[in-house]
Amino acid sequence: MNAVTMNSLSKIYDGGKKAVDSVSLSLSQGEVFGFLGPNGAGKTTTVKLLIGMLSPTEGNAGVFGIEPSKNPEKVHALSGVVTEHAQMYDNLTGLQNLIFYGSVFGLGEAESKRRGMELLRQLELSDAADTKLAAYSTGMRQRLSLARALIHQPQVLFLDEPTSGLDPESAQNVHSMIRRLAAEKGITVFLCTHQLRYAQEICTRYGLMAEGRLLAEGTLDALRSRICSDIKVKLQVRNMPADLTCCRIGDMTYELPIKSEEEIPQLVNRIAGAGGQIYHISSELPSLEDIYFTLTEKKE
Amino acid sequence: MKNQILAIIKKDIRSITSNHRMFVTLLIVPIVLTVLVPTMFILIMRFSPTESADFQKLLALLPSAEQNENTFKNMLRLVLNYMLPAFFMLIPIMAASVMAACSFVGEKEKRTLETLLYSPLSLKQIFRAKVLAAFLLSMLVSAISFIVMLLVLETETWLFAGFFLLPDIKWLLVLLLVSPAVSLIAITLIVKASAKAQSVEDAQQGAVFLILPIIMLLAGQFSGVLLINAWVLLALGIVCALLAVLLLKQSMSNFKYETLLK
Repeated sequence: MNAVTMNSLSKIYDGGKKAVDSVSLSLSQGEVFGFLGPNGAGKTTTVKLLIGMLSPTEGNAGVFGIEPSKNPEKVHALSGVVTEHAQMYDNLTGLQNLIFYGSVFGLGEAESKRRGMELLRQLELSDAADTKLAAYSTGMRQRLSLARALIHQPQVLFLDEPTSGLDPESAQNVHSMIRRLAAEKGITVFLCTHQLRYAQEICTRYGLMAEGRLLAEGTLDALRSRICSDIKVKLQVRNMPADLTCCRIGDMTYELPIKSEEEIPQLVNRIAGAGGQIYHISSELPSLEDIYFTLTEKKE
Repeated sequence: MKNQILAIIKKDIRSITSNHRMFVTLLIVPIVLTVLVPTMFILIMRFSPTESADFQKLLALLPSAEQNENTFKNMLRLVLNYMLPAFFMLIPIMAASVMAACSFVGEKEKRTLETLLYSPLSLKQIFRAKVLAAFLLSMLVSAISFIVMLLVLETETWLFAGFFLLPDIKWLLVLLLVSPAVSLIAITLIVKASAKAQSVEDAQQGAVFLILPIIMLLAGQFSGVLLINAWVLLALGIVCALLAVLLLKQSMSNFKYETLLK
């Protein structure tokens, strides 16, 4: 069974704004799916539709076969949700917060405490376990939110910008935890972010969104072959032959696109043959960012 | 399910008691109404001439069965059994309003409600837990206030006059029927307002309208226009209780995630 499904899912807000426009997708269990796009692309609205906080205007969604708009509480029992706006209680300590949310999910106090301590350890918050949340930094709060979302061992995680406000080291830590959860425990992760570079590090498949529409979806290789297969070659050359079409990006530094790595030896021979001196050469496959910009340019 | 709801109730009550500003607001009104005001009455009655025409006029309104030759005792009875019960409608309204506003709109304001909504409890269950928490706290405050008031009043009457006063049947009706009913009405008004309100103050305004009729009732008692007897109180209590149940049902059916998270 698919972990998450969306069939022509659309949401038009009361003011007439179409936030999500006919999105169809399905996620298999254990996948880390990157739902990517700039702010206002419809990512958060999609998450809210998937956890039943909003009802779709058209189409439907399913989380392990349960329709969120009809049975939100059943979907919540299976999912962990981290969004930018969902806060916890300032007057309670980190551990007390986790124990409270554990009990709300039906765990006993002792079990909540045990799991809470373990999650705090994994997220490097053990030292702050007995500190009131009011004294937590943004990054600590964000990590505690992740611990809160994991306290009931959910089968699917909905993460909306989970690393915003985190320093690079903590972000790295959170990413490796997400990857581990998917690999070891088979948790399906639906990760919304506008940080395409981070997403490329941890996701197994991607959906690229703009203005409520899903522009493309697939693995990185699939997206590369479908949308932007050009390999970028960077060269540092003295006496670059004038007849070679390339883009000069700095002193002696040039960039040019090729279709396959097979073209590199020919390129080197051609430059050397024309009297050019090569100091450095590197090739780079298109990144998610390249793919995204190619897509949005095409759309325009 | 019971434990999950209990966890929310415990957390809600704890959030009030750990918030010094809220906790002081919660204590000040009961202390003024159950300690300071009765003490003031006793002192005035003890040290001012009770033979004045105004006092006698007020006493004449007491049912003849409750009158005896001791004017001081008659006055005290008037205060204990006719005036002070009205305070026990104000106290639960105040306590319930503070608590309900904090636990509904306060959570909305601090964006903790959203997190709570991601739990496997239905909206109805979450709201039932929150209504119950506000109701329990307001009943607890009323009960403690009653005990404190009785202790203060009995000690003072014994010191000044050497006798104890017995609260009459009306107290039973007030504490077990009218108080819980008006407290529930106050909670529902706040809950209703909380769907739209953006701040705690916004939501509390609704409950202020509830205080007006009680102030009028209180003024009536003091001026002697209206001395409520047990039967009238029973009828009033039943009407309030029915109204509370009706309002509660209606207010809960209006809730949707979408309106709450706006």
